[in-house]
Amino acid sequence: MAEAIQKKLNAELEKYTQMQKDVRKSMSARQKLETQLTENNIVKEEMDLLDSTNTVYKLIGPVLVKQDLDEAKATVTKRLEYINGEIQRYETLLKDMEKKSEQHREVLSSLQQEFQRAQGLAVGKV
Amino acid sequence: MAEKGQVNIDHLDGVVRLREEHEKVVKDCESRVLHWKKVSGDYEALNERLQTLPDQLTYDIMVPFGPLAFMPGKLVHTNEITALLGDNWFAKCSAKQAQKIVNHRMKYVKSKLEDLTKTMKNFEARVGFAKNLETMTANKSDYVDIREEAGNNDTAVSKGKQRIAHKPNSKPKLDAVLDLREDEENEGEGRDEESRKGILTEEELWARLDELEKLEELQDEQDRLSDNADMNGEDTSSLSSEEEKDGDAATPVNGLSLKPSWTSVPHSKASTSIDRKEEEDDEEEEGSSLPTIFFSHTVEPKKVRINTGKNTTLKFSERKEQKEHSKRKKKNGHNNGHSHHELHKITTPADIYRLFVDVKNGELIPRKSILKSRSRENSVCSDTSESSAADFEERRMIGRSFSHDEATHSDTSDGITEEDSPTAIPLHPANRFEAFSGTVVEKDPMPSAVPHLTIVPPALPTILERKQEEVAPDAPPPEQAPKRVSKFKAARLQQK
Repeated sequence: MAEAIQKKLNAELEKYTQMQKDVRKSMSARQKLETQLTENNIVKEEMDLLDSTNTVYKLIGPVLVKQDLDEAKATVTKRLEYINGEIQRYETLLKDMEKKSEQHREVLSSLQQEFQRAQGLAVGKV
Repeated sequence: MAEKGQVNIDHLDGVVRLREEHEKVVKDCESRVLHWKKVSGDYEALNERLQTLPDQLTYDIMVPFGPLAFMPGKLVHTNEITALLGDNWFAKCSAKQAQKIVNHRMKYVKSKLEDLTKTMKNFEARVGFAKNLETMTANKSDYVDIREEAGNNDTAVSKGKQRIAHKPNSKPKLDAVLDLREDEENEGEGRDEESRKGILTEEELWARLDELEKLEELQDEQDRLSDNADMNGEDTSSLSSEEEKDGDAATPVNGLSLKPSWTSVPHSKASTSIDRKEEEDDEEEEGSSLPTIFFSHTVEPKKVRINTGKNTTLKFSERKEQKEHSKRKKKNGHNNGHSHHELHKITTPADIYRLFVDVKNGELIPRKSILKSRSRENSVCSDTSESSAADFEERRMIGRSFSHDEATHSDTSDGITEEDSPTAIPLHPANRFEAFSGTVVEKDPMPSAVPHLTIVPPALPTILERKQEEVAPDAPPPEQAPKRVSKFKAARLQQK
């Protein structure tokens, strides 16, 4: 009986750790997105400071490609929106994962209790 | 003690850990601050360089060649700068434009730095606190945890409630409604004398309403003038004086001034017809008769308002009547007969004050301020006997119920009360003290020439709510006047 519980416990524990990892991954991805967001914001603002006389280049690999200022601005704005959307997605994902991990935690704790009780019984018996 | 010691130790561990965590945060903040400071320094240097670069067309420099070698060379196109904007975007610009970009970035860096310093300070404070807590838990003897059972808030609360100063548009309206009905009911149902007077008052009420409307203007002015400081004293005096004058024209509503103002308005309307004479003394009652002025901070107001035939009001009315009697006799000898009725009816602002009377040693002592919620236990107006809060609600309920019941009652003020109820702005709930000290010093009321503009809405000018309410009912009042008359008559008939 105790062994069975123990097995269950281990299984749950693994699931829980896996969940935690996923949560951490999403968290880091979201953080990356955040930095990109701030960076793109700065780029946008600085582009506003420029005027059409300046040429804008985009670094694609080892090449600096000439870009039109307006086009560049539009691109940056689109990228900003994309990043925001991604952040939202990650937010929802994180919430779900948190909830699931909570559930797992509860299951884990209850299993642990059972296990301890079973162990106590076993000890008592012994 | 062992348990406590144990608990303390646990606390200590927790506190220690807390402190350590806080310190970690502080350290982290410090490192970040260093980083940003470095960045800021770099940008400053860059700014300098951009400033001086365009000074010369070309520079002779040693060009780095790989990681270990340099080569002499020339720096050309000194004004053309290719700036990295971030996220793999570059922009060719002049040195000045580049400077602009650099300044913009500096701003960002500064803001970050500020935030970090703020958080650092915050956490430093927390660290300090945790340290203190630690020492506290460690050395129990030195520090003492002071605890106080918070269980005596009831009285405080109640007291506070009791002492709620009336604000315009607060309960009074409800009370007023109640009172008005009550008053009207009382008037109709009261004693036989009152019934007679009720009839009279009904008719008078209508006239009084007009008068009171005019008085309202006066009151408003007075209120503004005698704001706060003179509220109690002047109100009563002014009220009284006005009352006296009102006796004739039912216009010196101003006597009410101040608090009574908003209450008086309803009073004036209500009581104009009825208690002109009583105005002097019973400004409070004025409201009750027509627009009820209910100073019902406390439960007592129900009682205070003599209007309703309910027990409470009767109680009040009796005393009031006595008081008013004496007062009236002073001023209007002919009003004695109406004293009872007038007591119930609030035709003038003074009536209101009459209503709010403190009973001390069996004597009625006018309250100084009827605006204040019952602060005196033995005040007649306030429901001293009951919890103010509860009573207040009750009163309101009663008032409302009264107002509703009005239709059923055959009171003289039936129609009036209905209309007046919305307009009847209860003098600030019973908590008001008797504004009228008993001495009526009538000033010349504003000439009735005062335009009816303000009078039409019975609402006291100070209280918008009331006005709104009153305005609404005001519209009907004129229409209902004829109806009311009939109702009153009907009531009278019924009474008879």
